[in-house]
Amino acid sequence: MSPRSDAKPEAAGDAFGKRISRPSRIRSFPVFRIAALWEAFLVAAASLRQNKLRTVLTLVGIIVGVTAVIAVVTIIKGLDQTVASTFSSQGSTVFTISKRPQVITSREDFIKFNKRKDVVREDAEAIFRSCTACWRTGIAANSFEIAKHGDQKFEGVRLRAVTPAAMFDIDGVTIDIGRIWTESESAAAREVCVVGPDVVTNLFPDVPLDRAIGQDIWTGGHKFTIIGILQPLGKIFGASRDNIIYIPYANFEKNFGAHNSLVVFIQTETAPQLEQAEDQARAVLRNRRGRTFRDEDDGFALETQDVFLNLYTSATANIYVVTIGVSAISLVVGGIVVMNIMLVSVTERTKEIGIRKAVGARRKDILTQFLIEAVTVTAIGGALGVLTGFAVAWLIALLIGFPLLFSAWSAVLGVSTSSIVGVISGLWPAWRAAKLDPIEALRSE
Amino acid sequence: MTEATVETSPTSSGVIAKPELPSNGKADVLILMRNLWKTYDMGAEKVHALHGVSFEVTRGDYLAITGPSGSGKSTLMNLIGCLDTPSQGEYWLNGKNVSEMDDDELARIRNQEVGFVFQTFNLLARATALHNVELPLIYGGIPGAKRHEMAKQALAEVDLADRMMHRPNELSGGQRQRVAIARALVNHPSILLADEPTGALDTSTSYDIMNLFEKLHEAGNTIILVTHEHDIAARAHRIISIRDGLIEKDERIR
Repeated sequence: MSPRSDAKPEAAGDAFGKRISRPSRIRSFPVFRIAALWEAFLVAAASLRQNKLRTVLTLVGIIVGVTAVIAVVTIIKGLDQTVASTFSSQGSTVFTISKRPQVITSREDFIKFNKRKDVVREDAEAIFRSCTACWRTGIAANSFEIAKHGDQKFEGVRLRAVTPAAMFDIDGVTIDIGRIWTESESAAAREVCVVGPDVVTNLFPDVPLDRAIGQDIWTGGHKFTIIGILQPLGKIFGASRDNIIYIPYANFEKNFGAHNSLVVFIQTETAPQLEQAEDQARAVLRNRRGRTFRDEDDGFALETQDVFLNLYTSATANIYVVTIGVSAISLVVGGIVVMNIMLVSVTERTKEIGIRKAVGARRKDILTQFLIEAVTVTAIGGALGVLTGFAVAWLIALLIGFPLLFSAWSAVLGVSTSSIVGVISGLWPAWRAAKLDPIEALRSE
Repeated sequence: MTEATVETSPTSSGVIAKPELPSNGKADVLILMRNLWKTYDMGAEKVHALHGVSFEVTRGDYLAITGPSGSGKSTLMNLIGCLDTPSQGEYWLNGKNVSEMDDDELARIRNQEVGFVFQTFNLLARATALHNVELPLIYGGIPGAKRHEMAKQALAEVDLADRMMHRPNELSGGQRQRVAIARALVNHPSILLADEPTGALDTSTSYDIMNLFEKLHEAGNTIILVTHEHDIAARAHRIISIRDGLIEKDERIR
């Protein structure tokens, strides 16, 4: 015989002499589970409101951590973006062919590359004839010289000899004042030059830019007449890109000799053609150097501007990881602050936990409440930390002088990371709260 | 207590025959306790707070449990209130065998079947009266709107409709105890379990609270009062006196 287990008889429902039927309870999945979580959130929110000092202290702990990480990440992204936009000014349609790659990492390589045949004008012409995917081809040779006008001297000028005039386009520079040399001037190897604005301001101080047109300057022991001035490109990391003198390549050959290997610039009309153009140019040059398919080495270096970016990326990657790692330590410290405050809070609120358990809170309810409290605080702290992090990054960027990118993903990352920190650091205190004995908890003061 | 006492204790609850319950003609049994033992393991020594307590409570009864401190009265109250489980013996509450439940099942029973009123009120200090009364409903999974309505009604029944948004420190002792009573009753439990409900109150407020209990009893609630004060116990209809973990006296006075 089993004890009676029928529905509640009438008297039990009569709290105050009126019969009130018991309302249905939230139990099923999943819509009501969300409702239950929302209830837990409301309980947690009420508790956070009711303990303002504790909430603020926890917030500060997490804000400091997130601010550090967000500021560092934002600054790094800003720097990266600056570098990337600078190096990609030639666009992704340009590649170069030269004797040596722009980056050499070992002495053996350097010796090997030096043994290669020079890249010469005829190579460029052969490519121009045979490469159907190539749109524009040019050649360039560089040297560093001193420029002079009267008693004014300007050191460390980049002398760049190019042909044809399309090389200005390929280099991504445009004329500001004056003109580019004509084809006949180029062919006749005339002593004309197009200069960057830095050259003018250094050689012709306190004179309007346009007054420099037609003036003669001396460089590399030869006299050149300024016919055009370029638009300024600005600085990258403090180094000017406007201290340059362009002269016709034919003149360079005549006055300086063609003893240096030159660089062939090839541009395709559209970016998707780049790979095909590279293959064709490579085939032409391998052929001219008598390379068969068995030879691994081309005998020349075919590169896009990506090499600079790749070099920059690989050189800075470790620095970034370390910097972000160090700043992430402050987030860990923030997490420890949260855990500490939560532990104190559990001890402080033992009585409250006892009361909640006495009126029917299960372990899960207490665990959820404390976890949600931790996550709510850390998520809000994370959001505020993202804002202050952006503000700090903006201030630093203002002082150093580079543009910033405030990305949504770093905001999402900041909030989600701090929420995860909240879960991790809230778990142990919440579990301690959840397994408290209700009798013991009620007895505490 | 000594080890010898353990040997005389009954065998495990499974061996004991299922309790014979009164037939339909008789009064409705709400609480049935059979040979309850509670033993605390204090290292080498075993302390028996209760040794073999058995009694029944019918629905609608008004019972007082009295006894000096250390008599096992608090232990018995914790068992009745499902805050704890017996070491041995059986406890049936409203047709459910509580003695073998785990923590979460007990929490559920406390939520649905038991309304606690404590000597020190045990209200959430920083929450409003309304929120305090809502607490059992939250854990009972009752949706917000319904909850507010029920809590407001319960507060109105204890004459605190105008104090709903007050926090405990803005209320007098008697008002706090009435909030606690509203919280105890809001979920319509089977029993109202009050532990020294007037212990922290002055005499006239104590009488107000006792009058409220009387009113609640008349309305059909089953009330169990744990107290060491004889004049308070005398307000009940039946008094069980506990001493040294045993029922010393079980008398009906009304």
